[in-house]
This record gives sequence, structure tokens and C-alpha cells, in this order.
Amino acid sequence: MKLNSEKLNHSWNTIKNKYSILLVLVFLIAVSTLINPNFLTGANMSNVSRQIAVTTILAFGETILIICGMLDLSSGSVLSLSGVLSVSVFKMTGSLPLAFFTAIFVAVFCNLINALMVTRFKAPPFIATLAMQAMARGAALLYTKGQNIYQIEEYTVFGQGFIGFIPTPVVFLIILFVATWYILNHTRFGRSLFAIGGNEEAAIASGINVNRNKVLAFVVNGVLVGIAGVLFMSRVNSGLPNGAINYEFHALTSSIIGGTSFSGGVGTAGGTVAGAFIVGFLNNIMNLANVNSYLQQIVRGAIIALAVIYDIRSKSKRDLKKLGNITEKKDKADS
Amino acid sequence: MKKIMLALLALSLMCVPAFANGQAEDDGTYKVAYIARAQADSFAAWLANAVMEEADKYDDISVKVFDGQASDDRVNSLIENAIVNKFDAIIIQPNNGESQRPYAEKVVDAGIICITTNARIAGIPGASSVDADPYEQAAVNARVAIQQIPENANVVVLKGPPGNFHADERRVSWEKEFFAKRPDVTIVGEQIANWNKDEAMALMEDWVQSNDRIDAIIAMNDNMCAGALEVVKDNAKFDGILAYGVDGTAEATLLIKDGLMTSTCLQSAYALAENLLSTSHKLLTGAESQIDIDIDCPLVNMENVDEYIEMHKRAGAL
Repeated sequence: MKLNSEKLNHSWNTIKNKYSILLVLVFLIAVSTLINPNFLTGANMSNVSRQIAVTTILAFGETILIICGMLDLSSGSVLSLSGVLSVSVFKMTGSLPLAFFTAIFVAVFCNLINALMVTRFKAPPFIATLAMQAMARGAALLYTKGQNIYQIEEYTVFGQGFIGFIPTPVVFLIILFVATWYILNHTRFGRSLFAIGGNEEAAIASGINVNRNKVLAFVVNGVLVGIAGVLFMSRVNSGLPNGAINYEFHALTSSIIGGTSFSGGVGTAGGTVAGAFIVGFLNNIMNLANVNSYLQQIVRGAIIALAVIYDIRSKSKRDLKKLGNITEKKDKADS
Repeated sequence: MKKIMLALLALSLMCVPAFANGQAEDDGTYKVAYIARAQADSFAAWLANAVMEEADKYDDISVKVFDGQASDDRVNSLIENAIVNKFDAIIIQPNNGESQRPYAEKVVDAGIICITTNARIAGIPGASSVDADPYEQAAVNARVAIQQIPENANVVVLKGPPGNFHADERRVSWEKEFFAKRPDVTIVGEQIANWNKDEAMALMEDWVQSNDRIDAIIAMNDNMCAGALEVVKDNAKFDGILAYGVDGTAEATLLIKDGLMTSTCLQSAYALAENLLSTSHKLLTGAESQIDIDIDCPLVNMENVDEYIEMHKRAGAL
């Protein structure tokens, strides 16, 4: 009997540790459904998925960077710059593929500059990407003279169209989720990212080319930001040089709530999606219930604080467990 | 590496004068500093561009634009810099009127001409102002909405940033001119969207889920109104929804022309710029010593929208 209870406890702890973020998500869905009957409807789920698509795509990039010990504070600004240039190219040429690849090219270019600052000049990613945040936003405003670009017509297909019954941004979200999951779990590059974030010196000692992997991480982030730029401008039916302000923080929030550790070496694509849905559902239910704007900000802040505290506590437990294992092995060896 | 870095730094510093926006050398013209609230704010950018275009019409005035970056501290620092650089006139577009008030007073105390605009900082002896009345901008819409919005209607309200004079005054105006007179109308959603189209879109998407019927969108600016309309434009359930904004942007005029938006009030950056420059000129030449001007708040609707579309086309906004 006692053995069964221990087994049950062990299983519950395993589920709790491994799938805690999903449990939170399920709990949130259950509570939200009780608060508002319109919450758990197909239309509203599609609505929330569409709303979080852009920030989740940015969050995939942040997750990749955070896992290897970096981050990107420029993604909102680079999104805006790549988006307005893409819209502008579309208005000049009428070519959707050209406009799409322009956004990706611009975002990758900006991220290569970030990578150069970080790897070649050893600038901390926080400072390097903060500098890029200012430069990219300034460039977007300079190019458009601060004015929105209107009448983008067919360009809206990326952000407002449907493939079957699924909104196009959600299709992009699913494809990019699979790509991010594959990169992180089934490629040498993905494994290298975890190794670098876990312990950079150990990664160098084990022969991993740290700088090359960091540059590659920024390039992948650039591709994701470029696609997000196209989806964002298409969704709002304009080129907004002042759009997506603070989106990097929304993306970081999704990534951290999803279990990505700011200390590096820990994170999953699935967790990031769950984190993004938690933020999206929270915003959604607060709006459905017409909760005061100021109260909404407090709730969002509290959730981030709780996620970070949870992350720190989990990390301490992991470290203690590792230490315990090492001591146990040492004791065995000594005896 | 150090040499490369030093060379790049030196090159960057050498490039600065090429893009400099500070006090130019004395060429006999009146030097005017225009301190914009935030070039990232599309209306503020439109106004700054209009001021520069208008300044080209004056041979004896040169204008330098400075970006306040939506920061009180930054705007206040720019005002102090302009005083130290001895500009002949300083035009302030406040980020937050009360925060900039002591600095505007410093401008007057320094014997420099001070003009506040969009929104005016009222009650500074010796300072002048050019503005559009935010209360009236919302009121022209609210007065027609009283007749247009059906009985027992459900409406949603999109607000600007809290603490912003124009955002707050426009909301007060809707309260007094519309909601106080129409107790039958229910507000089913009211949130802050910070003047932003994307934020307004997300809010409207949620409201559409929780309300089968929304009869009108009441937005404190056109950007937010356009964002909300983007959500319902292809939804048959919301055909005929009424939508009100303020600013008279190029996008709003097109939406009115397409029958999607009901009305807006033009806050003409061109009219503000024209009056700012003429006021500056009169004050600088001593023709007058103090001027306060309010520009008109014309209602833009289906009947007159063509003339405003033409206006935007002439200005290159369309």
C-alpha cells in the first residue's frame, strides 16, 4: 500500500515537473470557460491563435537565443523595419514573393549585425540588440517619415487569409513551431545551443564552434522576425513604422512563462507555445470580461513575476539534484 | 581591432554634423526650434513634416525639428538645450502639458518666444498657442451620433493613452455630449488601445466574440477606429456598424469613402502648421506680442469626404 502511494507520488511529481505549464494552461482554460461561456468556442480559439501568432513566432526566436545564453531586444523594431520595407516593395512591384523575401532579407541582415556585435566585438547581447532596437526603429521612421503606408491590397493575404478553415497566420505558426521543435531536438545545431547555454566554456572545451552557432542562432531569429513582420503588416492592413512597439517583451514573456530559463540551456518550442497561449488566453478572458485596463497590466506583471520565481526555484532544485547525484557517485566511488 | 573600432567611432562622430539638427550658424534668419512630442506618433510626425514644409515658404525663418521620443524627460531636456542655444522662438508640442509647463515658463523667462501646440499649455503669461480643441473634436462627432446611434445600442469605446490631454478631453467630451444624453446606450467594452491600430484590433476581436451585437465603435482617434473596423469589415453580422474617430487621417477618409466609417473630425496638421508659422512670424517681427489660435474642427463624413481625400492626395499621403 505504502509502495503504491510512493509510486503515485513519484508519478505525480514527474507529471508536475514535466508538464506543469500544460497543467497551468488547462486550469486557465477551465476557469475562463466558467467565467465566460463564449471563451471555449471554436471561433474564439481561432481568434486567440490569430492574435498570438506574431508574438509566438517572435518568441520562437527568443527561445532559441535564450537557450544559448543570449536574447533579442530588437525584434519588435526589426519587425517594423522589415515589415514597412516589405510593404513598400510590394507597392512598388506588386510581387508578393519579392515582398515576402525582402522582409526576411532585412531582418536577417539586422540580426547579422547583432551577431557581429556579439561574437566579433564581444558586446553583451542585451546591449547589442538594444542598440539595434533604436537603429531599426529609427530607420523605419526615417524611411516612412513617420507616416503609415496605406492601400496595401493583396498583401493582406498573409495575415488575413485562410487556408481551409485555418487562418493563414496560424498555418505559419504551426509550420514554424514544427521547424523550431525539429531544430532544437533533432539537429546538431540545436544540441549545440543547449550546450552553449548550459556552460559555454564546457561547450568550447568539447569542440563546439560557439561563435558560428551564435551567428546561426541570430540568422534563424532573423528569418522568424522577417516572417512575423510580413504577418503583422498584413494583419493590420498597413505599413506601420511605429507598429509592434514592445513586442520583444511580449515574446520574451511567452518564452519565459513557457519554461525557457534566462540562465540558458533550458527551453522548448512546446513550452513557448503554451506560454504564448497562457498570455493570449489571459488577455482574451480579461477583455471578454471587460476587466479594467489598469488591472489587466497588474495581472500580466504578476504572472511574469510568478513564472520567473518558479523558474528560479526549479533551477535551484535541479542544481541540488545534480549536486546530490555527484555526491552520491563520489561516495560510492570512495567506498 | 582597437584601431578599427577607433576608426569606426571617429567616422561616426564625423558623420554627426552631416545629419546635425541643432542650431545652425547665423545666416540672418530667425531660428525656430520645433520640439515634437514623438516622431514615432503618426500624427506628431505628420505635424512635424507639415511644419517643415510650411517653413519653406518663409525666407526669414529656419526651423529645426527635435524628437521628444514620447518622453517627458527628453522633451524637457530639448527645451533646455534650445534655450541654451539661443533660438529666437521655441515651439513645444508637449508630451504631457503639466510636465512641460515649468520648462515653457523658463523659455518665456529667458526672453525667447514660446508657442505651445497640440495640446496647448494654457495660462503661461507671455506664451502663445496654436491648437485644436480636443473637446470640440470629439463633440462634433458625438452631436451627430446622438441622432445616428439606434435606441438601446451596444457600443465599444477605444481610448488613448491615460494622462494624455487630448485622449482624456475627447473621452470627457463623449461622456458629456453623448452618454449623458443617451442613457439607453450600453458600453459593452471600453479599453485603452494607446492610439494604436494593432491594439485596437486585438480588443475588437475579443469584443466580437462576447457580443452578438455591437452597433457603434467610438474611438478617440482614427488609427484605433481603423483597427476595430479591420476586424468587422467582412463580417456580415456587423454590417452597418457605425464608427467614429478623430484626426481625419488619409486612411480614415478612405474608410469613410468606402462606407465603412461614419465620421471623423479633421485635426489638420496643415492648418496647425500654417498657423504655427504665421504666429511665429508675427511674434518674431514684433507685429504682435501674444496670440492664441484654435483651428477649426470640421466634421468629415460621406458628404464632404472627397475634398479631404483630395487634400491628402495633394500632400502625397495617398
